[in-house]
Amino acid sequence: MIDFELDEEQQLIKETVTAFAADVVRPAAHDADETGVIPEGLVAQAWELGIIQNSIPEEYGGYGSTPSTVTGTIVAEGLAEGDLGIALHLLSARLVVDAVMHAGSDEQKKEVLPLYCTDKFVSGSAAVLEPQWNFSLSELQTSAKRDGNDYVISGTKCYVPLAKTSPYMVVFARGEEEPIEAFLLKAGTPGVEIGEREGLMGIKACETYPVAINDVRVPASAKLPGSARGLLRRSRVAQSAMAVGVAKASLDYAIEYAKEREAFGVKIAQKQAIAFMLADMAIDVDAARLLNWEAAWSVEHNEDPSREITLARSYTDNAVMTVTDNGVQVLGGHGFIREHPVEMWARNGRGFSVFEGMASV
Amino acid sequence: MKILVAIKRVPDAETTIKVNPEGTGIVNAGVKWVVNPFCEIAIEEALKIKETKGDVEVVLVTVGRSESQEQLRTGLAMGADRAILVTAENLDTTGVSRVLAKIVEKESPDVVFLGKQAIDDDSNEVGQMLAQRLGWAQACYISEFNMADDAKSAQVVREIDGGMRTDKVMLPAIITADLRLNEPRYASLPGIMKARKKPLEEIDGASLGVDLEPKIIIKSMAPPPARAAGRLVESVDELINALKNEAKVL
Repeated sequence: MIDFELDEEQQLIKETVTAFAADVVRPAAHDADETGVIPEGLVAQAWELGIIQNSIPEEYGGYGSTPSTVTGTIVAEGLAEGDLGIALHLLSARLVVDAVMHAGSDEQKKEVLPLYCTDKFVSGSAAVLEPQWNFSLSELQTSAKRDGNDYVISGTKCYVPLAKTSPYMVVFARGEEEPIEAFLLKAGTPGVEIGEREGLMGIKACETYPVAINDVRVPASAKLPGSARGLLRRSRVAQSAMAVGVAKASLDYAIEYAKEREAFGVKIAQKQAIAFMLADMAIDVDAARLLNWEAAWSVEHNEDPSREITLARSYTDNAVMTVTDNGVQVLGGHGFIREHPVEMWARNGRGFSVFEGMASV
Repeated sequence: MKILVAIKRVPDAETTIKVNPEGTGIVNAGVKWVVNPFCEIAIEEALKIKETKGDVEVVLVTVGRSESQEQLRTGLAMGADRAILVTAENLDTTGVSRVLAKIVEKESPDVVFLGKQAIDDDSNEVGQMLAQRLGWAQACYISEFNMADDAKSAQVVREIDGGMRTDKVMLPAIITADLRLNEPRYASLPGIMKARKKPLEEIDGASLGVDLEPKIIIKSMAPPPARAAGRLVESVDELINALKNEAKVL
């Protein structure tokens, strides 16, 4: 009944993604964090890995594989281990592609999916969070009201990734029938106002924007007929996986450092205070990953996976903060210097617990 | 056209290798196994020819334990068409070259690519031995490969002591890849999914009717002695004195 071994395919995917993350993503992370710009060459090379196109059915131009949600977490964790900001940028297409694949109508699939199957990177965007006191997903203030054959959407969103460059944006709003509904908006829809790029504490490589949605009128066909709640669940699992990746990066870096760095004649890894810290970090990373695998598995096998997702999310959100904080601590004074990436991971890891609040979706 | 690429399963370069207590080999537990980096370059070169020439079949072969099929799958995921695993254990380079010669006879490829050497035992022998057994031309340590339009010959640039040497080699030939030949691609996700459906033939090494008995016997294996820690000296004189009288290099 229980098997923790990746199958051959997952193993290969993991190898490919972690190798790409280590060889290409990680070396670009520092500069991308400083400048807020991700090199185009890197994005093009990542696109060749076929991460997005792979899961799109052949009839829409993709490769038609149906990788499991667990496999999705392996990809997300692997890329985020390279760099979270870059990973969010590269996987942004999923915000639109997954939304349309899991909740879209046939017409929406025909319109949107082929666009993401060319050999050029296409980003995606989703407007989920709102600048309310609790950033709560269960009480969205953005509303969608039916008006004849149209919907009228109004509200304010923040942390909207790649809003300026994406051909589509999935907007989550409080509906009249459901507490959360999702709409597919084309770039340039009148009434959608994209503000100045946000200055953030972490994930500085990834562009995010505040978006004002002022009585935006869209045809009823813009609504995603499937479960918007289901989409948010999947995205929470993917984000947890990225949190595990960030924590893993910090853990591995701290271990290597502790094995090299000497104090009082011995490697600091041999000092109990450090060794215990590293052990706790390793336990946190593995526990977070296993909880999240269970959550990912539940998305496909359980009717209501919200318990598993909430537990995983709650644990990883905390684990990534503790682990990346300890990562800085293991390096001591050197951890505070930007030459070492641990301070960046501490900033990046800090975001998870605020991205989606403590709301249980 | 058919290109045969012979590859080897080796421990990852970043794995810490431990010698077993008996001193007969390395401890396999906890070792991460990968495609030998030079063999990856050989695969990449074959795939590049496939992409430019079109009608090319790229066939992978390896000799080793059944676990080696993991490395064949990696090559298939990169884009090779099919793979052959010859199962045999404890072969030395002579045995491997005998097995590969049999496979070459069976497959009759137009060219065979190999890595110049494997990063585990660094023998750098199999390509040369294979060429000798087949009576084929060989071009080893190449950093550039250009096949003639008629596919009857190829121009290669070889890395030799103190420079580069350009040769024309008649095909079929044995080509061994050096580090600078190309930069191997990452297996794409669609490639990985497709690899599952590609044929992987398993052949029992003993069924090939060749001598598999190793001619090289490993007597013992030991880790290199630990290096003594460095020491700071106070003056140039002290340094010269130490180099002369202790290190005895001056």
